[in-house]
Amino acid sequence: MTALLRAEVLKLRTTRGLYGYLIVLVVLTGLGAAGQVSTAHLFERGDPAFQRDMLSQSTVFAALIALLLGILSVTVEWRHGTITRTFLVTPRRWRVLAAKEINGFLLGVGLAILGLVVAIAVIAPVLSHDSASLHVDGAFAARVAEILLAAALWGALGAGVGTLIQHQTGAIVGAIIWVLVVETLLAALLEWAGWKGIADVLPRHALDALAGHEAGLSTAAGGAVGVAYVVVFAALGFLRVRRQDIT
Amino acid sequence: MIEVESLTKRFGATLAVDDLSFSVSPGTVTGFLGPNGAGKSTTLRAILGLVIPDAGRTRVLGKSYAELGHPFQQVGAILETAEAHPGRSGRNHLRVLATAAGVSRARVDDVLELVGMTEAAGRRVKSYSLGMRQRLALAGALLGDPETLVLDEPANGLDPQGIRWLRDFLRMLAGEGRTVLVSSHVLAEVAQTVDHVVIIHKGRLVRQAAMREMEAMAAGAAVVRSPDAARFASLLNEAGIDAQSMGDGELSVAAPTARVGELAAANGVVLHELTAARATLEDVFLELTGDEAQ
Repeated sequence: MTALLRAEVLKLRTTRGLYGYLIVLVVLTGLGAAGQVSTAHLFERGDPAFQRDMLSQSTVFAALIALLLGILSVTVEWRHGTITRTFLVTPRRWRVLAAKEINGFLLGVGLAILGLVVAIAVIAPVLSHDSASLHVDGAFAARVAEILLAAALWGALGAGVGTLIQHQTGAIVGAIIWVLVVETLLAALLEWAGWKGIADVLPRHALDALAGHEAGLSTAAGGAVGVAYVVVFAALGFLRVRRQDIT
Repeated sequence: MIEVESLTKRFGATLAVDDLSFSVSPGTVTGFLGPNGAGKSTTLRAILGLVIPDAGRTRVLGKSYAELGHPFQQVGAILETAEAHPGRSGRNHLRVLATAAGVSRARVDDVLELVGMTEAAGRRVKSYSLGMRQRLALAGALLGDPETLVLDEPANGLDPQGIRWLRDFLRMLAGEGRTVLVSSHVLAEVAQTVDHVVIIHKGRLVRQAAMREMEAMAAGAAVVRSPDAARFASLLNEAGIDAQSMGDGELSVAAPTARVGELAAANGVVLHELTAARATLEDVFLELTGDEAQ
């Protein structure tokens, strides 16, 4: 399995697509963090809770890109027909899918770390100018861990979504529209109908709760629901691919 | 060793492979022939575990493909799909495969050298010509140094130079004692390389034969012109040889020229012409695969 995982990482590293996404991630995260810091009051910026929330808000881009790259890691193989060679090397298909799930998970962690570094690089000089500092304590560390886990689950979820949908444009556009539009509208509708409990367990709501910028579920519950989504999509993807004809 | 047993595969309403059975002996090069759409690719993909049969089964080296311990080191394959991500370099593509299959990186450079792609290996695959892509695919198939090779239309899209290179290459592989199953819709492409042929049409087996038999089928016919054509035709018929009048004293005879000449001399028949009407292998192939291929 480590060989397959290393192969997945190599696949990712050896195309230019990844680097484009990394640039987008750095730029968007930097702009987002700068926006939040500049619109906050001086006393807010020194507040530990503000600092943690600012990190949560700034890493939404890392989470979204983890989802997209997770999807792409699978759909690109169907799009270019390389899934044929992949399954020739590893005919036990579940092993390929498992490697892609783990790859998506690790990818999420890596992207979130990059997002956190950029966000901290933006806020640190401002705090220093304020003669304040970043409150690195237990709560801070816990929040960082939650942010990393949330992005990791987004990446793994992407691998499952890509395996299930396979059509690259359909999967990518569908995922973006769901996350940015459909889920928001659906949640508003559910809340209006008095079913906020259901809105809270929608995927973005649950994972945002885990990452600390959505009020609905507790962190632990958000994480549990997020894991459930990853497992369900991975299982559906496996069922789709298990006996699929690769032609 | 490749075995196909009662393989049947349907895609929607289309019966792609229909109760097909044949086997490929170790150390032989077998041509897998049939017109386009005969079910060749589906059969090869079933052998490689990519297509799930509706009925029957396929085995490689005595096992189903998925049960092979190290499939990449046991069976190499070229299929009619893109080999690599267009944005990846040829070398990196092979490195990905080597990493996943547990093959050493040094072997990547070896196979690049073997197929003559060392210089182009650093370029992205999208810049490759069709011939280079086929070479890269062959490099991918040989990366694990497998004993058995399954090649689906490897000559497709190659220029004459590329086809010649491929032919020499296949002969080299055969010379090393590898088992090769190579598909084609053009018999001439593989005729000089293969020992056996498996011919299918509309998903069914038409014939499995040694190449020698195919050549014998192509060899035995003669054209005769004689002022005494009618009498000679009946003499030939008496000898159990089929002879048909083509008009104007010309006969088409289903026997080698030597035999026809001997009969003419023995019976004192004057011949104005005796030529071998050598049906090409292609003619035999077309005859066997019937209407659709013509």
